[in-house]
Amino acid sequence: MIEFIDQALMAPLEILGGHIAGILPNILAMSVLLLGGLVVAWSSGHFAERLLHILRFDHLCNRVGMTTMLLRAGIKTDPSRVVGSGLYWTAVLITAIAALSALNLAPINEVAHSLLAYLPHLITAGVILSAGYVCSNFASQAVLIAAVNAGLPPARLIAACSRWGLQLLAAAMALEQLGIAQHIVVVGFGITWGGLVLTAAIAFGLGATDLAKDFLERRVMRTRSTPDDLRHW
Amino acid sequence: MNAAYTPLEPGTEASLRDIGSADILVGIPSYNNAATVGHVVRAVAAGLAKYFPQERAVLVNSDGGSHDDTSRIVARTAVDYQQLLIADRQSVLHRIVTPYRGIPGKGSAFRTIFEIARRLRAKACAVVDADVRSISPEWIEMLLRPVLDEGYDYVAPFYLRHKYDGTITNSLAYPLTRALYGQRIRQPIGGEFGFSGGLAAHYVEQQVWDSEVARFGIDIWMTTEAVANGARVCQSFLGAKIHDPKDPSSDLSAMLRQVVGSLFASMERHADAWSHIEESSPVPLFGFPYEVGVEPVRVDVNAMVSHFRQGLRDLRPIWSRILGTTTLEELSDLNRDESDCRLPDDVWSRIVFDAASAYHHRILPHEHLLKSLTPLYLGRTAFFVLASQGLTSAEAEQMIEHLCVVFERQKPYLVARWEAAQHRPVDRPSMSLTVPDAGGCDDRIY
Repeated sequence: MIEFIDQALMAPLEILGGHIAGILPNILAMSVLLLGGLVVAWSSGHFAERLLHILRFDHLCNRVGMTTMLLRAGIKTDPSRVVGSGLYWTAVLITAIAALSALNLAPINEVAHSLLAYLPHLITAGVILSAGYVCSNFASQAVLIAAVNAGLPPARLIAACSRWGLQLLAAAMALEQLGIAQHIVVVGFGITWGGLVLTAAIAFGLGATDLAKDFLERRVMRTRSTPDDLRHW
Repeated sequence: MNAAYTPLEPGTEASLRDIGSADILVGIPSYNNAATVGHVVRAVAAGLAKYFPQERAVLVNSDGGSHDDTSRIVARTAVDYQQLLIADRQSVLHRIVTPYRGIPGKGSAFRTIFEIARRLRAKACAVVDADVRSISPEWIEMLLRPVLDEGYDYVAPFYLRHKYDGTITNSLAYPLTRALYGQRIRQPIGGEFGFSGGLAAHYVEQQVWDSEVARFGIDIWMTTEAVANGARVCQSFLGAKIHDPKDPSSDLSAMLRQVVGSLFASMERHADAWSHIEESSPVPLFGFPYEVGVEPVRVDVNAMVSHFRQGLRDLRPIWSRILGTTTLEELSDLNRDESDCRLPDDVWSRIVFDAASAYHHRILPHEHLLKSLTPLYLGRTAFFVLASQGLTSAEAEQMIEHLCVVFERQKPYLVARWEAAQHRPVDRPSMSLTVPDAGGCDDRIY
């Protein structure tokens, strides 16, 4: 009976105990990493938000139109809080990957490594999209004002084209960075952009002959005469 | 800025060593002014010989790389003193013809002139435009005498101009500087000024030469810098101002941006100097005012109205960030019909004050903000032209006076918006705007 207990019950328990003893340091390491990572994630997110607030980041975002973009996307919090949250969740993600790696299990390691390898591409794509949005807003605003001051009737259309063109370019670059259908994106962008330019050229040349004529005449003739001789100061 | 940096060419440095010092300096900034600069040089030389025969005088031409004969004409233009009945010229008029360094523009040309004045320890200086056709030797006396004999630091010009000449001055620069600094300087961006050597040294020491001041913003900057720093300011009557025909290729939007940008930037630098001032006072005027016929000015009102209407239609999202809610709503209500172009004095003054505070609070990139004001300015100019058709110059002047009074009354609105924690739409001030009747120019007639 004693032998039976030793062989049938204790031996598996000993093996289980050995396994647990073998994995316990890993679990402990995972717990420490998880706990430490969460603390770091919370503090980095919190401090980043405070720092950006001090640096008047929200004011800057308001100026470049980022706040409007967030509102359109249904995000009603301050941009500095969005950045803080983004930093927090990025740190949580990295912490989770690192914590799972601490278990030293082959399938989990593979997933963790591939996620880590993809992270820089995700961040780069996000930066490209954000920069593209800011640049497109700035450029379209400048184009709109210049077109109105030049007296071009389709000022808003020209400004909208410049905005969407730049945002399309940014989206294509971001998708390429993510490795999603790289060639299709580049070719698709080329065809779309080329098509737009060709359409605009044909429309301007054929459909707006008078406008083209007026525009060119004004450009060419501006040095010869003007309708008035008002001196503004 | 590097303290050792000098805006002067080596050849100019050598000329300064030869000359040593001077009592009077007259500067002429130029760029492709061969057609008119000879007349200006003759007027300056005759004025110096006739009115300041004893003083050591220097004429400085600061040129922006003219492709015509401007520099050669300045260097070689001779004056027949006998014909002008000037017999007692006792000192030689030195001439320095030099290109300027820095950003291409009138301000950079002035910087070179200020630097030369400082090096020569000039007591009194004057600057005159190279394209002015109506200059006479008396202008030189009127610009320099108040500095030399009366102890003034800054002499602004006072011209007779057509009612449609100088519309940025009339609708913006004059009312705004008067409301801000409390001094009624009628031509704050006149182009011809007199100033002391001390003020020239002050100008050259300011670190503004990479801004709009380096371009057309220089005139308004000189005036605001003088009044904000407590300089003794006066005006001199110069008669009619007749320019060379304007450059048709000149870009109004860029010029407006430079002048208004310089004005708003000065407001930021001198907020302590203007925020407490509540009313204005006259500035002494020297000379003998007289009436003179001025050249007629053709105005294409329809083009200006068209620009304004397009701005109202297309720039509304941008204007809504610059202007107060009430101002924008009122502007829209006043201009409901396609042919309307109405910007009465109180609306215009709030537009200018809103734009200034939006500039201060950096609501938009400065360049965008300033350029987006062009259709508004054209709308106001068209409104003024339409409202003053058939009026005499004196009556049109009364309209401008009325605008200035409105600017002064509305100043608390500016101060409130300027000092607000952040720029946000505000309601129209509740104060009553009972402006005294300025010769029948009540808002109702608009």
